[in-house]
Amino acid sequence: MALKAEVLSKRLVIKVYHIEKVEMAQVTEFKGSTLLLRDQFLSGHISDQPLVSNLEVAILKPGQFQKEVPAILDVIPIACKALGKMGEGITHTLTGVCAVLTVADAGGKPPAQIGSSKGLLSEKMFIDRAGTPSKNDHIILLRVTLKEDAIFKRQGIIAAHRVADSYLQVIRNQLKKRDSQAYTEKHVYLDQLEPGKIEVLLIKLLPGQGAMHDFLVLPKEPCGVAGSSSIIDLGNMPVFLTPNEYRDGALRALT
Amino acid sequence: MGIGPSTKETTKHHFKDPLMELLGEDKDCRPVGVVVAGIAANFESKEYIVQRLATWVSALKPDGVLVSMDSWGNSHLDFNLLLEQLSSLKIPVVGLSFEGVQAEPVTLNSSQAKVIDINKSAEGRETEVLGENNTNIQDARKALAMLKLLRKQ
Repeated sequence: MALKAEVLSKRLVIKVYHIEKVEMAQVTEFKGSTLLLRDQFLSGHISDQPLVSNLEVAILKPGQFQKEVPAILDVIPIACKALGKMGEGITHTLTGVCAVLTVADAGGKPPAQIGSSKGLLSEKMFIDRAGTPSKNDHIILLRVTLKEDAIFKRQGIIAAHRVADSYLQVIRNQLKKRDSQAYTEKHVYLDQLEPGKIEVLLIKLLPGQGAMHDFLVLPKEPCGVAGSSSIIDLGNMPVFLTPNEYRDGALRALT
Repeated sequence: MGIGPSTKETTKHHFKDPLMELLGEDKDCRPVGVVVAGIAANFESKEYIVQRLATWVSALKPDGVLVSMDSWGNSHLDFNLLLEQLSSLKIPVVGLSFEGVQAEPVTLNSSQAKVIDINKSAEGRETEVLGENNTNIQDARKALAMLKLLRKQ
């Protein structure tokens, strides 16, 4: 009984830090509500990825999404564990900014199957969906270039995600250190029984068929890559996540 | 992830999933958990994975199940098979998937389960605009209302 009570009392606290400005600088750090990003020495993020030839980073200001982009692989929130493991403890996350990961080969070829999101960002992305930036968000545009035909390989796509993860980890490491009281919003999610309520299970069927069709479960950092397992490697078998693990970024979409 | 950009569920979508946000807020419901499974390429694996999902649901005995799919085409085999299996367990189930006019399922859903088409585009097609045909909060509200109605039947 004691164990059951302990398990059910797990709680997740998500502290939100709003960002008003994102600028390029010498070092990656936070100054109040401004996020400064290092724009030099990016080669360090690709040095252990033999399939990747280049990483470029650009900042798009809110509403200024008139930018030609290669195929969009993912829209990634920036969040980190400040305390505890995925699904419990304290998570810090940012609003007002998110990362958009794009990929192409040296000739600009996209990894498309049916259609591609290659083109003008303002026309190729529906603004203000749960999975896309809002009109008030800054975008950190990550452009990964893959070597030769890695664009059509599963390992190439995963390599692009690893490069993005390495870049975002520098921001996460600073985000972990933010003043625990200086948040703009705080959300507390308890994992407890509530007798009398309708118990609803959510099942998500997601493609697990190859390079463009894969996802990662349970990374070390919310919405991250490192430490996760690919559903293809898990034989596409069902994986159970608590509601708080799911809210805490336990799924990373690969495209 | 998805077959085309408009249905693609990004990492941000999972982080801010309207289905989970609604389940967390709804005064009548409690989310028990999220079971994620991959959609395999061959039919034998599809059947096997659906069978394992049904076994889990049967063991967990939730009051209702929402099945959300980020794919279409042959993936509707998995989707419809799962809805049929869960309906046969007499568990209320509502599915959400993209159909429009382009992705009418290759097999029909012959079960008692209700299905919500998450298409948002006027032409009912894969528009190549990222996120356009994603599940939004209105779809989530519709799905949960249907699930509550199914429980009363």
